[in-house]
Amino acid sequence: MTNSVQGQNRHYSPKKKSTFSKLLSQWQLMLMSVPIFLYVLLFNYFPMWGWVNAFKDYGNRKLVAKGITPWIGLNNFKWLFSRPDFFQAIRNTLAMSVINLVFGTVSAVLLAVLLNEVRQKTFKKTVQTVTYLPHFLSMVIVVAMAQNIFASNGPVNDLLVALHIVKEPVFWLGEGKHFWWLVGIINVWKEVGWGTIIYISAMTSIDPALYEAASIDGAGRFQRILHVTLPGIKSTFVILLIMNIGHLMEAGFEIQYLLGNGLTAAYSRTIDIFVLEYGTQMMDFGVATAAGIFKSVVAIILLVGANFIAKRLGEETLV
Amino acid sequence: MRKLLSVLLMLCLLGSLLVPFAVAEDQEPITLTYFYGAPGDQPYPDNKIYKKIEEEFGITFEMEFLAGDLDEKLGMMCQDPDDLPDLFDGGNSADKILISSGVLINLLDYVNPEDTPNIWAHIEPQKNRIITKDEDTGEDVMYIIPNYGLGEGDQIVNSVNGPAFFIQKQVLAWAGYPQIKTLDEYFDLIEAFIAENPTNEDGTPYIGFDILTEDWRRFCMINPVQHLMGRPNDGEVLVDINSEDYATTTFINQPYAKPYYKKLNEEFQKGIISPDTFVMTYDQYIAQLSTGIVLGMFDQTWDFGDATNALLTDKKYANTYVALGLIYDEDDVPAEDMPEGWTIEEHYVNGSLPNLDRGAGISVSCKCPERIIAMWERMLDPDWALLLNWGVEGEDYSIEDGRLIMTTEQNANTQDIEWQRHNKAQAIWNSSPKRQGYIMEDIQVGDQVVTAGNCWEPGSQPEIVFGLMNDYDKEFLSAYGYSKFGDFVNPPIELAPYGEAWQIDKSPIEKDYNDFLNIQDTQLPQVIMAPEGEFDAKWDAFVEAINPSCEVYSNFMHEEILKLVAAYYGE
Repeated sequence: MTNSVQGQNRHYSPKKKSTFSKLLSQWQLMLMSVPIFLYVLLFNYFPMWGWVNAFKDYGNRKLVAKGITPWIGLNNFKWLFSRPDFFQAIRNTLAMSVINLVFGTVSAVLLAVLLNEVRQKTFKKTVQTVTYLPHFLSMVIVVAMAQNIFASNGPVNDLLVALHIVKEPVFWLGEGKHFWWLVGIINVWKEVGWGTIIYISAMTSIDPALYEAASIDGAGRFQRILHVTLPGIKSTFVILLIMNIGHLMEAGFEIQYLLGNGLTAAYSRTIDIFVLEYGTQMMDFGVATAAGIFKSVVAIILLVGANFIAKRLGEETLV
Repeated sequence: MRKLLSVLLMLCLLGSLLVPFAVAEDQEPITLTYFYGAPGDQPYPDNKIYKKIEEEFGITFEMEFLAGDLDEKLGMMCQDPDDLPDLFDGGNSADKILISSGVLINLLDYVNPEDTPNIWAHIEPQKNRIITKDEDTGEDVMYIIPNYGLGEGDQIVNSVNGPAFFIQKQVLAWAGYPQIKTLDEYFDLIEAFIAENPTNEDGTPYIGFDILTEDWRRFCMINPVQHLMGRPNDGEVLVDINSEDYATTTFINQPYAKPYYKKLNEEFQKGIISPDTFVMTYDQYIAQLSTGIVLGMFDQTWDFGDATNALLTDKKYANTYVALGLIYDEDDVPAEDMPEGWTIEEHYVNGSLPNLDRGAGISVSCKCPERIIAMWERMLDPDWALLLNWGVEGEDYSIEDGRLIMTTEQNANTQDIEWQRHNKAQAIWNSSPKRQGYIMEDIQVGDQVVTAGNCWEPGSQPEIVFGLMNDYDKEFLSAYGYSKFGDFVNPPIELAPYGEAWQIDKSPIEKDYNDFLNIQDTQLPQVIMAPEGEFDAKWDAFVEAINPSCEVYSNFMHEEILKLVAAYYGE
C-alpha cells in the first residue's frame, strides 16, 4: 500500500514538473506562439459565442430591432429538419465537395506526375505557370467565361454539334443534372495548377538514388512512377486528403451563387447559400446559425473519422 | 520663452481652424451620411447643384451607393444601430427591412400643416395612403415621403412607363403598322417577321421573345397573366375590384394562367424563345437588348432604359420598342376557367400612384432631422423645384414666351451620366419628395415668367417629348395616326382604393413567400420548356407544388388589401 502510494507520487510529480519546466525552458517559442493563440481565440473561438443565436427567435423584426430575442430552445433546428430544401442543400454540398475532391486530387496528382517526368525545363515552367494562373482569377470572371463557353450557342456546343456527338445543343447551364459536373470541371480548370505545387515539391524530395536503383533493376518509366514517385508522395497525399475531408462541408459558395439560376436551384443551393438566404436576406439569424452549427458538427465528425481511418492505415495523421 | 511662443502660435493656428465652424448656429455646415439603395456614381466635387445645396442649407453629403445585394446590405446595416447613415434610401426593400427594423424616425413629428406647408400640400391629396397607423401603438406614422407619383394636375401619359409587352418598331413597320391587341396576334407577327428575316443585316439571328428571370426581375415571367386578364400591375395577385370584398388570389396557380404558359411553350417549341433566356443575368439581358436582336419581351419600360439609351446612341431607332397592351382573346380562356363575372378589358396604365415607402427616410441616429425636413420643404418651393428638375436657367434650359424649353443638346445632356455627375443632384433628387405633373401657377424666374401649364419635369414637357422626337418615331407615330406612344394603350383607369398590391410588405410571411418564389423560379421555366406532350403534366405538377404557398400568400394579401381599403376610406 505504502509502496504503491509512494510509487504513484514518484511517478506523477516528476512528470508534471518536467512538462512545466519544458514549457519554461522553451519560453521563447511560447512567446512566439502567443499571437497565433490570440488569433485563433479571437477569430475561431470567440465567434462561437454567436452560436447562442441558434436557440433564439429572430422572427419579429420590430422586437429584434429593440434587442428582444426570446429563447425558443430547439425550435430552429426542428424547423430546419422539417425543410426538404435543407436536406437538398446538404446533399448538394456533399455531392459537389466529393466531386471537387476527387476531380481536384486526381487531376493535380496526374499533372504533377506528368510535369515531374518532363525533362525540358522551359516547357515544364511554362506549363506550370499557365496552369496555375487561373487560380488568381476572381470567380466572377471565371463564371462569366463559363457562361459564355457553355451557352447554347457557345463553343462547347458548337464543337459537340460539329463533331456529331450531339444533335441538339446541350442546355448545360439550365439543367440541374449538369450543374455538379460543371462546377467540378470549372474548379479543376481554376485550381489544377495550384494543386500540383505541393505534390511537385513532395516529388523533389524523393531521393534520386531510388530512381537510379529502379532503373538499374530494369524498371521502365511507368514502373518508376508506380513504384517510386507515387509511394513517395503518399504521406503528403494522405495529409491533404484528411484536411480536405475536414472541408467537405464547404463546397464553395461563390461559384454556386454565381453560376446557379432558378432552373438549377435544386442542385446549386449549398448550405452556405442556404445560410445566406435565411440569415442575411430574410434576417432570420436563428435558423441561419442553426444551419451553420449543423454544418460544423458534421465537419468535425468527418475530420475525426478520416483521421481515425488514416491512423488505422498506419499513415501520417493530423492530430 | 521660445517654447511658450511656439505653443501660443499653435493655439492661434488651432483657433483659426475652428473659426469657420462657428457661424450662424442653425446653419452651421454639416456633413450628412447618405446611403443610396441602388448602384450609382459619386457626383464630382464641382457639381453645381450640390454646391447650391451647400450654400443654401449648409449641408454636404457623404454618399454611399449600393454594391451587391440590397437586402443583405440593408440587413447588415440595421444590425449596427450606431453606424446608420443619417439619410437612407432603401429602394424596394425600405419597407420590409428599414421600417420593420425600426431604424427610421416618424416624419410626422416634424411634418404638419403649420411648420411645413409645402410638404403637407404635397402629400395631402394622398395622405390616406401615405400616413398609416402603427400596428402596436396605433399612432399615425409616415417614415418615407414618396419620391414619385405625387404629380399635380391631370395624369401625364406620353408613353407607357410601366409593364407592357414590348415589340421592336421595325416589326410593326414591316407588317404595315397593324393593330396588335391579343397574345396570338403578337406572337403570330413575331413568327412571320422571323420567317422572312431570320437574321439582321450583320447576319446575327433574331431572338423572338426574351423572358428575364433573374432574381426579383422574375416579374417578367410571372406578371403578364394579370395584364392579359385586364388588370394593371398588382404584383403577383389578381384583385377583383368589382367584388364586394376585393376577392384576392394569386393568379399563377389558376386555370386562366395556363393559356399564357401554353402559348409560351408553343413558341419555345417553334424556337421563338431560346432556352438561354432562363439562365440570363440582367446584365446579359441588357447587353442582348442593346444589340437590337431581340424582337419582343414582357418587361417594364424603366427596367431596360439602359438598353433603349444604347440603341438611341447607335441610332438604331427601328430597333427601339413600343409598349403594347395585350389581352387574352375571347376564346383563349374557357368560360369555366374564368373567375365569376369577369370580363376582360385592357388596362395596362393605372391611375397615378404615390410610390409608397420608396424614397429617403431619416435614420434614428441622425442628429438634425429638422435640417433635412427644412431642406425638403424648401426644395418643394417653385424656384428649387425648377432648379432640381430643369437645372439652371440659361445654362440647362431657357424660357420662351412663358414656356420651358431645351435644345437638343441640352436634352441629350440630361441622359448623360457624366454630365449628371457635374450638373444634377441625381441621388438626392431621386429620393427626395419632388414636384411632378403640371405647373399649376405662374412662376417668376428673374424677369421672366414661367406660365401655368408647363410641366415640372423636362421628360413630360411636350416641347421636349414631341419637339425633340427623332424622325423615325415621328413617321412611325403618324403612320398610326397617333400623337404619342401612350396611345398604343388605353387611357389610365381610376386607381383602386388599395393602390397597387405589389407595394404591400410581405415580410410577415417571408418564408412562405420565399417558397412561392423558389418554386416558380425552378419549375415555371421547365413548364415553358416542356417537351411536346408533357406540358399538361408539368403544369399540373407545378400548380400542385405551389398551391400551399399560394394559399398563405393569397390570404395574407387579401387581409392587407382590406386593411388598405379601410384606411383609404378613413375607417
